[in-house]
Amino acid sequence: MEENKFDHDQSHYERPNLPYRCGRAALWQTPCNQGPEADGTCGGIRECNPFLKNDRWECRRDKKFGGPCEDGPGSGGKCSIQRPPCAPRSTLRVIRGRLVVLAVGVVLALIGSSLALDPRVGGIVSISNAGPLSKSHAKFTEKVGCPSCHVAHGKGPVAWIKAVFNNSDLSTQCVNCHSFGGPSFKAHNANLSPDRKVQGTQCVMCHREHGGPTMSTRFLTPEQCGSCHKNTFESFERGHPEFSEKFPYFNRNSIKFDHNSHLKKHFDNPKFSDKAPDSCAGCHTITLSDREIRPEGYEVVCAACHDSQIKKKELILIRLPELMQDLIDRKLLVQACNLPHSQSKKEEEFLSVSTEQLALVSAFLLNIPEDDLETYDQPLQDLILAMAEESHVPFADLINQQTPEPMAMSLLAGLNPEVLKRAACSWGLNQEYEPPAEAMFGGWYADMLEVRYKPSGHADPVAKSWVEFALAVSSSQENDDKTVRAQAMRDQLLSSKDGVGGCIKCHAVTSNKDLKHHFQLKVNWNYGKVSDSPYVRYKHEDHIDILGTKSSCLNCHTLNTEVDYMASFKDYDPGNWVSNFESIRKETCSQCHSETQINLECQRCHIYHLKPSFKKEMLAVKADPPSST
Amino acid sequence: MRINQGFSLVHVWGVLSRIPKTRNPWGYLGFAALLFLVIWVWTIQIDRSLGISAFASGWILFGILAFLSLFSARKRLPFLPLASSSRWFHLHAVGGFLALFLFWLHTGGMWSQGLYGQILTALFYITSISGVGGLVIEKIYPRQLTYSGIEIIYERIPGEIAEIREEVESLILKCTEETGSSTLAEHYLETLSWYFQRPRFFMNNIFGSHLSQHWVRQQCMILERFLDKNERKYLDGIYVLAEKKRKIDFHYALQTLLKTWLLVHIPLAAAVMAMVFWHLILIQVFFV
Repeated sequence: MEENKFDHDQSHYERPNLPYRCGRAALWQTPCNQGPEADGTCGGIRECNPFLKNDRWECRRDKKFGGPCEDGPGSGGKCSIQRPPCAPRSTLRVIRGRLVVLAVGVVLALIGSSLALDPRVGGIVSISNAGPLSKSHAKFTEKVGCPSCHVAHGKGPVAWIKAVFNNSDLSTQCVNCHSFGGPSFKAHNANLSPDRKVQGTQCVMCHREHGGPTMSTRFLTPEQCGSCHKNTFESFERGHPEFSEKFPYFNRNSIKFDHNSHLKKHFDNPKFSDKAPDSCAGCHTITLSDREIRPEGYEVVCAACHDSQIKKKELILIRLPELMQDLIDRKLLVQACNLPHSQSKKEEEFLSVSTEQLALVSAFLLNIPEDDLETYDQPLQDLILAMAEESHVPFADLINQQTPEPMAMSLLAGLNPEVLKRAACSWGLNQEYEPPAEAMFGGWYADMLEVRYKPSGHADPVAKSWVEFALAVSSSQENDDKTVRAQAMRDQLLSSKDGVGGCIKCHAVTSNKDLKHHFQLKVNWNYGKVSDSPYVRYKHEDHIDILGTKSSCLNCHTLNTEVDYMASFKDYDPGNWVSNFESIRKETCSQCHSETQINLECQRCHIYHLKPSFKKEMLAVKADPPSST
Repeated sequence: MRINQGFSLVHVWGVLSRIPKTRNPWGYLGFAALLFLVIWVWTIQIDRSLGISAFASGWILFGILAFLSLFSARKRLPFLPLASSSRWFHLHAVGGFLALFLFWLHTGGMWSQGLYGQILTALFYITSISGVGGLVIEKIYPRQLTYSGIEIIYERIPGEIAEIREEVESLILKCTEETGSSTLAEHYLETLSWYFQRPRFFMNNIFGSHLSQHWVRQQCMILERFLDKNERKYLDGIYVLAEKKRKIDFHYALQTLLKTWLLVHIPLAAAVMAMVFWHLILIQVFFV
């Protein structure tokens, strides 16, 4: 290009920041000298604006556009070079400005339309929507919508402005539905003493919504746990404290099952080996097992070997003991028993038909010594006469006097009054009672000098009631003699050899404090709850899936052959016990859970919240009434 | 005697002018990388203490975006002593990349959930892509324009083309009058007038193709065999003007792109800022 072409006297200034450019230039013609006016009209209709000087119009065309023209202005001061006007075009700067306004306008229009047309009303998509909710939250918010959690939603601009200057406190909305075993907004929901500083928490610190069907929950790293916990460590392998001494066998078993004797002795015995399980899974339910693997029920695990033993262990309600003299009013007995009058005369010399001792149960009920003939002679014969007259009524009265709640109904359930009366009539005549047939099928029966109860099988309700009765009365007597008799009865009923059904051979008896802080003995009829470690989780099923069902249990659960497991059940303190198995050490888990194999974050084994649940209102199902069509 | 005013624009200008001017953007890049690293570590620390790091990263991102928006304002205020435009350009480019990485740090992923988040993300990405495209153009095209051998103001290109066209047409008229042959004139009317009408071969020039050069040469060579010596003299003159016009076309294509990519970048950036403000309002109203 020519070097001096753009000199100030050769060309005009280009001003691209002006809003218009020449329309002729836009059509690739020679642009005019003046260019468009500021209002967008053409400024190039004439070459110049002539100037009146000394009554003469002078051409004012600039030098750079050729200087004054030859013809000069007309007499009226009009430029002699006229052109048709062009249509000026907008400059790029103006177009850019319009596009900016358009882009921002589109955004504002979207926001405005979104606010004006609520999607719940008009079905228009909402530009305020931060994203889809998780499945669980989407369901319960589908009717109320955003205000379920966002209080300011739908309340107008004033509420929005207020919300900006106030904490929205989303977490408060969360606990309208969710509940915990402790304070909702304290770390781990822990209800610790005021001396210990616990960091305040909010749900949004870990839980985020609007992330799609799956709730986004922050998985805590050891570093994050270490922000509060003083005992910080890198990982399970590096620095995690050793498990406690008894882990995980903290609580005494409710069923006395000696794994040592069964695995090492009984299952090897040819007499029982065909009934023995071939692995742990033979007794323990491993499918869908979580933290605890419970054994199968009695029928599956124990009945094959132990069922016949239960029926052999009977209860003796009353036994005719040796008597010194006949003190029964024979007339009343004959009348009560509908005997012939010939029986009303007593023998001159009395010789007791029995040489046995009194049964401990009746000795306790009558509060008489079981071995002192002089003491029990009269009350026992009174009882026999009463039995002849009213059958079980005197027994029921005696039983119901022993406990605050009457128990005769359950203790004497199934007792045939006729049996008791006939036995009493025979004994009143100083004769043995002869049953019509042998008792084979269980239940109450009288035989010679005794009234007995034969359990029908496992979980016999009468047998269980007698065990519970014995425990209840053994610790509630004011009289020392009676206490001794109650404990004697209890020891007999709890005896694994002589106790009714032999219940306590397998079921543990535990001493618990009642509401009045008195120690009460309770039989663990059912499997006990798992140890109360609410922040710990473990899933057996996952581990068994990987390690297999045959011998995988032994990887962690090693038999301790040196301990006397059964000795733990001799007293009733559940805390003082020793497990059949070695406690599990950290090294056991570290075999697989190392940084190079299966790494463990804190939350794999520890639960953050304490007993997370829902409030009752949430759990109540409110069904809509069917529409009447 | 100089009166100490504590602060004056003259003083500020003096400080700014002493900052060493560099064309090397690596210093800015290094600073941005360091800044990002610091922010990243900071957010990790916040997360470790169970805080919400998105607040920190979000406010920093907002600050960076506001700074990027100031570049446009700086262009409108050339009279203020606010450092050189090239420094602002470098800071804008490096700040743009920093904003992109901060955006990923803030959202925790490449894409967002929810309509407004997706609109914001899409706008941000398109703005970023247009910015990167613009940066490439700004770095490559000015050099190519210099190599073309001519300089021309974009707004004067229509006038230049019109002037060349008039020169060509006057040459043809002169040739016809002098030689009495209409061969050159007919060829001009049939073919060359299309070329001189307005800028041609726009896309070829954008992509650096030499098609226009071949086309001009071919049109002249085709005609050459039909012309006598006198006419060839005029044809040579037309060829020189055609070559000049080809260079102007090249300038037109590249300068058009240098100016029009901002028609995408700036409006989208404005839309991003509008959405960012909306995002801030929603967070302040419903979350904080």
